[in-house]
Amino acid sequence: MDMMPVWISIKTALAATLITFFLGLAAARYMAGRDFRGKSLVDGFFILPLVLPPTVVGFGLLCLFGRNGPVGQLLFAMGRPVVFSWSATVIASAVVSFPLMYQAARAAFEQVEPNLENAARTLGASEWRVFWRISVPLAWPGIAAGAVLAFARSLGEFGATLMLAGNIPGKTQTIPLAIYFAVEAGKDALALNWVLMVLFISFISLVALNHWKRRQYHNMASIVDFLPEESTDAGN
Amino acid sequence: MLAIDIKKRLPEFRLEVAMRLNYEIMAILGPSGCGKTMTLKCIAGLEKPDEGLITIDDRTWFDSWQHIDLPAKERRAGFVFQNYALFPHLSVYDNVAFGLRGRPSAEIQERVNNILAKLGIMKLTSRMPNRLSGGQQQRVALARALAGEPEVLLLDEPFSALDSLVKSRLEDELLKLQEYYQGHVLYVTHNLEEAYRLSSRMAVIEAGQVLQQGERQDVIQRPANRRVAVLTGVRNLFSGVICSLEDHRVQLEVEELGSLWVDRKVDQGFKLGQRVTAGIRPGHIRLGKREACNSAVVAVSDCVEEVSGCTYHLQASNGRSRLNLETSSANAEQILRAGEKCDIYLPPSHLFIIDDSK
Repeated sequence: MDMMPVWISIKTALAATLITFFLGLAAARYMAGRDFRGKSLVDGFFILPLVLPPTVVGFGLLCLFGRNGPVGQLLFAMGRPVVFSWSATVIASAVVSFPLMYQAARAAFEQVEPNLENAARTLGASEWRVFWRISVPLAWPGIAAGAVLAFARSLGEFGATLMLAGNIPGKTQTIPLAIYFAVEAGKDALALNWVLMVLFISFISLVALNHWKRRQYHNMASIVDFLPEESTDAGN
Repeated sequence: MLAIDIKKRLPEFRLEVAMRLNYEIMAILGPSGCGKTMTLKCIAGLEKPDEGLITIDDRTWFDSWQHIDLPAKERRAGFVFQNYALFPHLSVYDNVAFGLRGRPSAEIQERVNNILAKLGIMKLTSRMPNRLSGGQQQRVALARALAGEPEVLLLDEPFSALDSLVKSRLEDELLKLQEYYQGHVLYVTHNLEEAYRLSSRMAVIEAGQVLQQGERQDVIQRPANRRVAVLTGVRNLFSGVICSLEDHRVQLEVEELGSLWVDRKVDQGFKLGQRVTAGIRPGHIRLGKREACNSAVVAVSDCVEEVSGCTYHLQASNGRSRLNLETSSANAEQILRAGEKCDIYLPPSHLFIIDDSK
């Protein structure tokens, strides 16, 4: 059995999650706890790939990165066209999974108590240090859940990938594409192999997600623990 | 010298705070939502005033006219938050060491251990905050704020989250704070007793305005106006007319109580016939005592039994108008019942006069 689609899928999903992770974190940090004119407009724009049909996202990306698109023209001039290359699978997956990461991280940042960040500031921490040492660790369960969801979504991406990257075996053919074209060609047994593979990888991702959720729950539970005042340490 | 003179427009009111303090503990007393916490946040650099000036010794932290606004990380004011705001993912040690970054590790270790030892929480070093009791959390928060030797220590209702037993013990400890912290301390509370016990100076704030500030005895013994009197726990206020002036005392004519002598405080200028407000704290009215002057017969309108003693609501009347008074008596042996008559005596030294025209 040709394992290429599996490696391409995992490579793509990892690369897309990495990009999405930092972009989503940056966007979430910028939007959380800030109020400006047109905020809901920007927010809507970030969420859009989640609600649009992937083919619409793919069409949009094609317009942007295609031979006649503004970014595409530049890339063609530089001799590094993106369309129908492996990078295209990453871009398509990253764009489609971005809203999941962004939403989860933003919700998690908004849950962080502002006074914890304020306390860090009064202790001399720069905004950069406040972000990495306080905000991110405290929002981590939510951020991690977002990253796992984004990874799972990248893995399953079909429509936008097909539009932007095409179906080139050994180059842009991810598992979902391979399944579709195997079924279309009547190779049901091959399709089933890949289906089982996707089931396995997705299941692992979800187990990881649940693990994070449980950790989050445990943290909450220990915070509300009732702790009696100890008589030995306070009196002296 | 820490000098603050700031204005900030808030949704409910305008915050206008001007105060100065000189290496002492100043309590900011006021009801919740009066702008106390906002004032502290402005000083720490966590909120930006609309206009004003914050200077510490010869340095400027904020000056709206010169566009100086030092960020919080450069002001490094020690801030103890109301809920302590300990970093839940860091141990006690790491919480306290958080503000010491950039120093040699040996120095960090020494400083952290030093401050933990002073506060008696040395053995909590490796605990996580969610394994600390409220009192321990407060000490860690204090240790964390003091570790970097800040020039100003800002305490936002540090006792409001504690039960009364722990509270009184920690209060005693905070009184000793000055032994190891020499700096400006601003202390926010809505509790008068606490403010008085812990501070040397007091500022009374309501709806963003400083109504009075000064030595704590002055604020308590000579409220500047009726609002200050009410906010500092004076329950008995009545109007009167000045009918006689002597060097050391003033005579007032109060419709319901007759004539009252009041000891005259320095720099209080009064005129004969002037309408003023007089007041006395509940604990200062002497129940069941009759003197040649400053005494009256009143009716008990109701009696609330307290843990020690009673709180009485009294009614003085001259037939035309009535005056409600409140007093507390530590002597619970003889409880007066509603409807009974009794003598009261208002000591001239405890009565004060508020100049309504000011």
